[in-house]
Amino acid sequence: MILFSKVLVANRGEIAVRVLQTLQAMGIATAAIYADPDDNAPHVALADEAFALEGSAAEETYLDRRKIIALAVQCGAEAVHPGYGFLAENPAFSKECVESGLVFIGPSPETIELLGDKIRSKDAAVQAGVPVVPSSPMWAPGESQADDMSAEIGFPLLVKAAAGGGGRGMRVVERVQDLYPALESASREAASAFGDGRVFLEQYIPAARHVEFQVLADSSGNTIHLLERECSVQRRYQKVIEETPSPALDQSLRNKMAASAVAMAKSAGYTNAGTVEFLVDAQTGDYYFLEMNARIQVEHPVTEETLKLDMVEWQTRIASGELIDFSQDDIQPQGHALECRIYAEDPYDNFAPATGQLLAWRPPSGMGIRLDSGVAEGQEITAYYDSMLAKLIVWGTDRQASIGRMLRALESFPVLGVTTNLPFLIRAINHPEFQSGDYDTGFIGKNQELTSPPESAILSGAAAQIAERFWQSAGRASGKGRGAATLQDMPGPWQGLPKSTLP
Amino acid sequence: MTTRRLQQLHPPGSGEGNLSPSAEMIEAPASDGAEIEVKLSSPSRWEGSVQLHDGRTVPFLAHRYGQQVHVWISGESYVFSPPTPIARARRSGQQASDDIVSPVPGVVITVHVAADDTVTAGQDLVIVESMKTEQIVKSPRDGVVQRVSVEEGDRVDKGMRLVVLVPEVGE
Repeated sequence: MILFSKVLVANRGEIAVRVLQTLQAMGIATAAIYADPDDNAPHVALADEAFALEGSAAEETYLDRRKIIALAVQCGAEAVHPGYGFLAENPAFSKECVESGLVFIGPSPETIELLGDKIRSKDAAVQAGVPVVPSSPMWAPGESQADDMSAEIGFPLLVKAAAGGGGRGMRVVERVQDLYPALESASREAASAFGDGRVFLEQYIPAARHVEFQVLADSSGNTIHLLERECSVQRRYQKVIEETPSPALDQSLRNKMAASAVAMAKSAGYTNAGTVEFLVDAQTGDYYFLEMNARIQVEHPVTEETLKLDMVEWQTRIASGELIDFSQDDIQPQGHALECRIYAEDPYDNFAPATGQLLAWRPPSGMGIRLDSGVAEGQEITAYYDSMLAKLIVWGTDRQASIGRMLRALESFPVLGVTTNLPFLIRAINHPEFQSGDYDTGFIGKNQELTSPPESAILSGAAAQIAERFWQSAGRASGKGRGAATLQDMPGPWQGLPKSTLP
Repeated sequence: MTTRRLQQLHPPGSGEGNLSPSAEMIEAPASDGAEIEVKLSSPSRWEGSVQLHDGRTVPFLAHRYGQQVHVWISGESYVFSPPTPIARARRSGQQASDDIVSPVPGVVITVHVAADDTVTAGQDLVIVESMKTEQIVKSPRDGVVQRVSVEEGDRVDKGMRLVVLVPEVGE
């Protein structure tokens, strides 16, 4: 089978870098696209060619189907890899790619459309004998029948966007009087993020665990699963920490859910890499189909680390017509993998997004440590796009080993200039509840200590002393208060330090 | 050795002097006077290790950005700056500003209030979208909107004024 000679990556950030790396390792020529704020971004530097989309807002850049397809055709690409988010699950984009003679690296437009409609995808799950959570028909702004729908489902309930994922357009509603404001806000957010403002109501299952199964299907219909990922550490319904294997599954539940995942993929006529998401009721052990994601997932690296398999390589091979050359029995995981998403956000301020210039970005390294990053030191982090900067992934022979490795990695990862959730991640991994493995999606909400500013003044006091000495040695000499010195103007850092502490 | 104490801008400390939801300024915590030992590992940058008062030796990295000093130390990051007039005013007990500021950088997508509106604590004032997520700015207290400083579609920085609130008069 002949692979593509050139592929355009229609994305930005860490996933664009991730996809470009694999394509290059496969000997495929690569093209990137970029919006104005990303002209210095790592994915631009990495690709063999990079094309400006001209503009800043997502709608006029990474979501502009016409611009992107025209660039792909012009540069002679044979296929387009959409990454996740943006156009990854936009059936019109995949259809237009095909119509323009490009291979879309992902499932067919029909499958994307089916799975993107959360109602139709649930029907497909029911037909495949997969258990589902009760939900309502679609609601759109201006419609009023949500009262009846909510009466049927009962409170608390979830408002969810028909399209997309990543927690956008999702709200928990406790009381009937909050229903319409939540519907309207969720609908607006969904329209902005996915270009589709339809939302619906779903029964809310508290104390649930979020467990998903990776599947891989080729054009002959051969469908296998690549085991599960546990994704229950979430804030704003968005995953923060993922691991495999899930501490919540015993072998019998794992086998049942895996069979459901494969049945679901087959029912949807799925090809390429996809993920079947389930809620697991921590109390009863029951599980429910949530949705199937027709794209590569953010958290795919934990699967790659335990199976020693490159997901992007298989996406590309399957899209080029190759058949999967291993069987379900070959899927034998080794050890345990853990991923932490590093977000530009303030854990002490309700995870509010943060922007700024990355003054320092010093990723850790060592055995079993992997960083999938879309940023570089000196880069400006803007409010235009998603706040995820990178993913830190570790592998260990067992869960305890990877927890230890993750903690060491997180604690030796200096980042300055942009507020990140790194201090939160350290506390979460250190938390007894996380370490016990017995946690659910309420983990962050119920453990306030994870998001309270540090109480001990030992660290902040030391930081203050360092800052004082640095300020005096660097700032005073050149700055005199206002009109700050540029970094080049600053005198050596040794000035102002007691001699005894010199290196 | 310090002659003028820098202020900690981030993370927020234990309560004292909240300037706004987004820009807490507190006095840098006193370190009981005793100097800590700082060892630099690079001749050209402020990085190395420091021995804490609890005996641990931990890594640190410091960086200057304009009027700010950013310090990473053992997994936590701090931002300091020289005292500003407004922060000094706060500490000396003057009344808080009635500026309602944006908690995040982003774009104003909805303005729920107009000048002279009476608002109650918890009421939605403005919605700012940042990084594809909506942030709802609510009124911190009962009052009257004196001025709305933004329009829908405006780009705002974190800490930028959205609405000016004054206490309700009469009744």
